Amino acid sequence: MNALLKIASALAVATALTAPVLAQTTVVAPSGSTTGTYMDYMKTVYDRGTGSELLQIPIATFDKEFELTPMAAESWSQSEDGLTWTFKLRSGLVWSDGEPLTAEDYIFALQRAATSGYDFAWYWDFAGGIKGWKEVTEGTADVSTLGLKAVDDQTIEVTTIAPKPYFPSVTSLWYPVPKHKVDELGDDWALNVDSIVSSGPFEIESWEKSNNSVVFTKSDTYTGPWSPQIDRLELDPTLNAPEVGLPAFLAGDADYSFLNTGQVPVATQRYPDGIRKNAVFATSYISYDLDAAPFNDVNVRRAFYHAVDRDELTSTVLKDIAIPAGSILPPGYPGYNESVVAQATFDPEKAKQFMADAGFPNGEGFPEIEIWYREEGGYNGAIVPAMAQYLQSEFKEVLGITMNIRVLPGPEWMDGLRAKKNNIFIAPYEYDYLDPSNFYGIFFNGGRHGYFVPEYDEIVAQADSESDWEKRVELYAQAEQVMIDQGLIVPLVHPVTIAVISDEIGGEGSQPNALGFTPLDRLAHYFFTHITKQ
Amino acid sequence: MLAFILRRLVSVAATFIIVSLIIFFMMHAIPGGPFDANDMPVSEAVRAKMMAQLGLDQPLWVQYTRYMWGVLHFDFGVPYQSPGETVTQLLSRAWVPSLVLGGLGVLIGAPLGILLGMAAALNRNSWIDYFASTLATLGLTVPVFVTSMLLILVFAIWLNWLPASGWGKPERWILPIIAYALIPLATYARYTRSAMLDTLNRPFVTVLRAKGLSERRIVFQHVLRNSAIPLVTVFLPMFIGTATGSIFVEAMFRVPGLGAYFVSSIETRDYPLEMALMLMITFMYCIAYLLSDIVYALINPRIRVGGEQ
Repeated sequence: MNALLKIASALAVATALTAPVLAQTTVVAPSGSTTGTYMDYMKTVYDRGTGSELLQIPIATFDKEFELTPMAAESWSQSEDGLTWTFKLRSGLVWSDGEPLTAEDYIFALQRAATSGYDFAWYWDFAGGIKGWKEVTEGTADVSTLGLKAVDDQTIEVTTIAPKPYFPSVTSLWYPVPKHKVDELGDDWALNVDSIVSSGPFEIESWEKSNNSVVFTKSDTYTGPWSPQIDRLELDPTLNAPEVGLPAFLAGDADYSFLNTGQVPVATQRYPDGIRKNAVFATSYISYDLDAAPFNDVNVRRAFYHAVDRDELTSTVLKDIAIPAGSILPPGYPGYNESVVAQATFDPEKAKQFMADAGFPNGEGFPEIEIWYREEGGYNGAIVPAMAQYLQSEFKEVLGITMNIRVLPGPEWMDGLRAKKNNIFIAPYEYDYLDPSNFYGIFFNGGRHGYFVPEYDEIVAQADSESDWEKRVELYAQAEQVMIDQGLIVPLVHPVTIAVISDEIGGEGSQPNALGFTPLDRLAHYFFTHITKQ
Repeated sequence: MLAFILRRLVSVAATFIIVSLIIFFMMHAIPGGPFDANDMPVSEAVRAKMMAQLGLDQPLWVQYTRYMWGVLHFDFGVPYQSPGETVTQLLSRAWVPSLVLGGLGVLIGAPLGILLGMAAALNRNSWIDYFASTLATLGLTVPVFVTSMLLILVFAIWLNWLPASGWGKPERWILPIIAYALIPLATYARYTRSAMLDTLNRPFVTVLRAKGLSERRIVFQHVLRNSAIPLVTVFLPMFIGTATGSIFVEAMFRVPGLGAYFVSSIETRDYPLEMALMLMITFMYCIAYLLSDIVYALINPRIRVGGEQ
């Protein structure tokens, strides 16, 4: 009897000890959008399946401190004339079905993007400046003329139209497409879990299309850097809304949740160690139709620039969800310049003077205007409507003008911007890759707003191809000085997203970086491969 | 009766065509199309190519005729939001959770509401009457996302009895079903109470009592049946409204149902899916009202459908 008891208790202890080892660790996280078509980042970005990017291995990516880290590439080099980049891929990389991952899969991804109506194709022209890109996307040149070449299975050669010293950071959004799968099934390979193959740290287990939520597992075949430290990952867009995410988090159904303004104080009190700032580099700004009255007058634009009390805005209506923006670049972003930021002062007297100079003393004779903003969810949805109302009363008080507000669905807002159907907009922008050229490119040579400012374009073009970092930063600061002097935009705020994270989540990924940001879903590759779960 | 049903079916077909025309042209009247990017414009050449691929470059009447011709063959096209499957496949997949939760919600809420309404009518001005009225008023006036949030707060977070949200295991269904059931419960309690009070005051009830019938027989056999007409009018349309999913309940409880597609198909200009959803709802409402009319005749023989003498 005694012996039996001993054996039983020994077994019980053994089971108790091995159970945690055998138990799978699963992290449940908010991510993505509730609709998604293809599980293929290089097919569609705006309508992608949740986590598409996490399934594949980019050429390079950013770590927690925003340092560029080679992923599929082992090394890269720039040619003497600065126009050609050569990327050497790691050996031994394979697709989850065992097929080798080759340079051809990367080349094919971009060739298809340039010809198939990829919704993110602009990025490869705007950021990448790949030779022939514009002509191929417009259908005036053959795809073979693109500046892309697979020298051999492990060497990629890219030719750009001008020297692009920052090109490697652009490749953080360059994912491979399994050419062997596309040859067999066409683009439909990315529609069903059975035919989806991955090259990255995770592979797909299931995909619920009704809300675009996915379950990933740690890949067995992945040999690249950053292997996951968790077994399963559930990414669920229905958890994105803090109103849904926080209750699920509190009930133990989610491992972190984003917070809305009302939730921040409550969550901070209950989880003082669990509060994290997401690494979102974004800016909300006012843009104009520079050719239309009354904003074709630089004095009017400069009046608006000085009429916004950003500190009051972010300490009252936007408390905890935004910080003042004095530059198009957010704090911590490469190239961020204090001397630029210091000029964005709230100065009612100056603003009034500019209005008077423009022929509108105290706003007299100024036409009634209507500011257009884009209807959306996420952090912008929380910020922009409140901000628009604040600006409305602020401009009335400081400038003596009447500004109405109009909210439009995304495509209509974009159409309004592009076709210049209105003269003033609130525009949000979030970075795509970490380099100042990203933000300054928005206004370069037409760009997003149809701005053509030769002086600005000249400096930005020079900065873009300057290989010396210090000189580049100096040039970008000059470019922004042109923006300020000509009142091209009014930087308003930088959104901040705050999340609460479970104390069961550990690892380097869960801890803030030197700037106080935690990667979360914005640096998904780093974050999801550098967290652990108890 | 048969002639009546046939005539009604013809009018269903007419309604169907009129609704399809309105929806189709309204959808296309909204500015923007399925390939208008949010951040940066897609190049004109590319957009034209994609529009042509989906036949969106054709004149509207051609697109409409093509689509409706497909509908006649039960082909509702391919949703832009979910390539790789047909609209029919998408609906049959996404509708299951909505039908289960919403359907159970109505099937549980409606009988409970009737019982509560009866109890309130029979014990007028008692505590149960006040309770029923309060519950009914709250159920109809408090938005469903607020009640959902309260349910989650109490049962998932404070008491920790049930999961907060999600789909799959049946214990996850309980809270959303309660959230769904509150609406029919409230509606039915109110309708039943007032209809029964009306009937209870009618002279024939006094006659029945004078005849010496038991109170139970009077209530269940005579009063309830005579009060049933308004309940029938409400039942089927409510069933459809709930069983096609609620965007709020589904979002709060993270149910992968049909609800969100009603909004997302408009937002993403998913013409085939939006048309299919609207046609489906139209068809179901037409049939529901037809069935209601038939049921009227069955429960009250004085009603002669189609005006026959």
